[in-house]
Amino acid sequence: MGESLLQAAVVINVLATMVRTSTPLLFGAIGEVVTERSGVMNMGLEGTMLTAAFVGFLVAERSHSLLLAVVTACLAGGLFSLILAFMAITLDVDQIITGLAMNLLASGGTLFWFRIAYTQTTSQETPLVALLKPWPIPLLSEIPYLGPILFSHNALTYLAFLLVPVIWFGLYRTKRGLQIRSLGEDPRAADMGGINVRRLRYLAVVFGGMMAGLGGAFVSVGSVERFFPDMTAGRGWLAIVIVIAGNWKPGRILLATLLFAFLDAFQLQVQGVGVQIPYQILLALPYVLAIVVLIAGRARSIAPESLGLPYLRE
Amino acid sequence: MTGRPRWRLARRPVVGPRQQVQALALALVGAALVSALLLRVANADPVAGFVALYQGSFGSWPVAVESLVKAIPLILTGLGTTVAFRGRVWNIGQEGQLYAGAITAYWAYVTFPSLPRLPLILLILTFAMVGGALWGLVAGIIRVKAHVDEIITTIMLNYIVVYILSLLLSGVWRDPTSYYQQSPTVGASAQFPALIDGTRLHIGFAVGLIAAIAIYVLIEKTPLGYEIRALGLNPTAAGFQGIHVARTVLVLMLVSGSLAGLAGAGELFGNHYRLKAGISLGFGYTGIIIAMLAGLEPLAIVPAAIFFGGLVNGSYMLQIATGVPAALVSAIQAITLLFLLGGRAAVSYQIRIVRDG
Repeated sequence: MGESLLQAAVVINVLATMVRTSTPLLFGAIGEVVTERSGVMNMGLEGTMLTAAFVGFLVAERSHSLLLAVVTACLAGGLFSLILAFMAITLDVDQIITGLAMNLLASGGTLFWFRIAYTQTTSQETPLVALLKPWPIPLLSEIPYLGPILFSHNALTYLAFLLVPVIWFGLYRTKRGLQIRSLGEDPRAADMGGINVRRLRYLAVVFGGMMAGLGGAFVSVGSVERFFPDMTAGRGWLAIVIVIAGNWKPGRILLATLLFAFLDAFQLQVQGVGVQIPYQILLALPYVLAIVVLIAGRARSIAPESLGLPYLRE
Repeated sequence: MTGRPRWRLARRPVVGPRQQVQALALALVGAALVSALLLRVANADPVAGFVALYQGSFGSWPVAVESLVKAIPLILTGLGTTVAFRGRVWNIGQEGQLYAGAITAYWAYVTFPSLPRLPLILLILTFAMVGGALWGLVAGIIRVKAHVDEIITTIMLNYIVVYILSLLLSGVWRDPTSYYQQSPTVGASAQFPALIDGTRLHIGFAVGLIAAIAIYVLIEKTPLGYEIRALGLNPTAAGFQGIHVARTVLVLMLVSGSLAGLAGAGELFGNHYRLKAGISLGFGYTGIIIAMLAGLEPLAIVPAAIFFGGLVNGSYMLQIATGVPAALVSAIQAITLLFLLGGRAAVSYQIRIVRDG
């Protein structure tokens, strides 16, 4: 009896952690799918998230307002992705190299700013900020099993999951969504059809950046109460992998996200229990899985036809 | 009927070397201006900042030699990026291949510790190349066999190898006397000899120069180089011309990875004398910036890498003299690349006067 209760608690804990750790991946992927459906590849997602994580932390630490921190992180993500929009859409520069440059800029830039802001602190004693509080939903969070797994998280987690159907509806059931998808497939035809290709791609890139910004906010003020260099630790890259693994479709992206997040939750649980598997192997698993998923999913991939290609008029 | 003349932006049919130089100049001026701005943000006098940066990089012989030391891994990763990118193989995995090379080189060292100096160092260099090449080959095989783009696989492999390194350093290769995750100091016979006596400039610099010439010859003067260039121009057409695209991709990943592996060995046995995560400060990624800055020309990699080595070295003096965090330089490197990309796009346009009618 006691044994099975304990097992149930472990399962609930793992699944609740899975839902929680899904948050930044889901934000990143759900924004990136909109960007990529418009034909632009944001390889700078990792850096966008990192920049937003830092801005969110900085604002939270200075203003003591988590709402303000989340909002500015979101805006910072949008602003940072304007680099890609300007380079790739206005100047037709290679999107991949631009994205890499953005990641390097974010990595060096946040560290630079962090050191300026906290000159007196060493890495051991970085300032702490308050964490986004969990927000158990009345009644729903009381449901056995499902309550703690699904309805006892912070606002950002709910928002990330709610955005999945919203993005699906936006992409497949609205005129704007149809236009965005047509840009990714055949921008010339879309242009002839009277769509302002550049303007709409700008919007898609900035939207993706703002979503990555929310993901970044979760990484700093949503899950740990501090900032440290390169703290996004590959989540932006995993979000890009998730978009590919989810075949550019919101529903499948949700499933792919849960798969990666489950691995993360499992890893945390195993470490917590103290099972004798070196933690390095557990931490490397998501990246190994990413490669496996890319290989397995390659055959049925339906990438947007014009993804990554600049659109030159005339 | 002729309308009034109007200005129009039009793409140049050919972007020549002159435009390339203009773009480079634009990038350097732009990066300098942003640096000045960031120095102001950090409450420092920009002029004093630039003076400190110069004094700490090339202002005297000792610091200039140290800048050359800092340039060694950058020459090698810059070359590794260049050779791959020339064939449109987007190897972003230099960072991981550097660690892989360091790991196998260290394995060779602990397996044959009692070899005399010369054979030991040759063995270390060989194993560094093998390790880097094999780690690169993983992504190459996945691209050729499973048709998965190498960009993301190489990045994933970068993360994976760091955990492998950490696993080794917390287990079999751990220095038990140290709090940090690092190996013991390597023996004197495995430490790379100095190129100039009494300085820290080790033979890795010579390895870098030889590699630059070798890669230049490989790309410009050999049949394989012809295939690489054909692949770089148009992979589809290259396939039709009877070029073995798959084989060339694999060879490029091997060559590119082995150069990164050498960079890893140089940092381990020539600079830090220990295996640890700190042997690379993102040199694999900096190599991409350097390769772009050098216009993917192997011989131009050397001065570009020395320039960046100087920036990195100068950043310490900058921090001491003005209190500006040394991380400024990493941000500036990325900004230089962004300006270069933007500058290239800008100079590819020309203003033409057109008349309506």
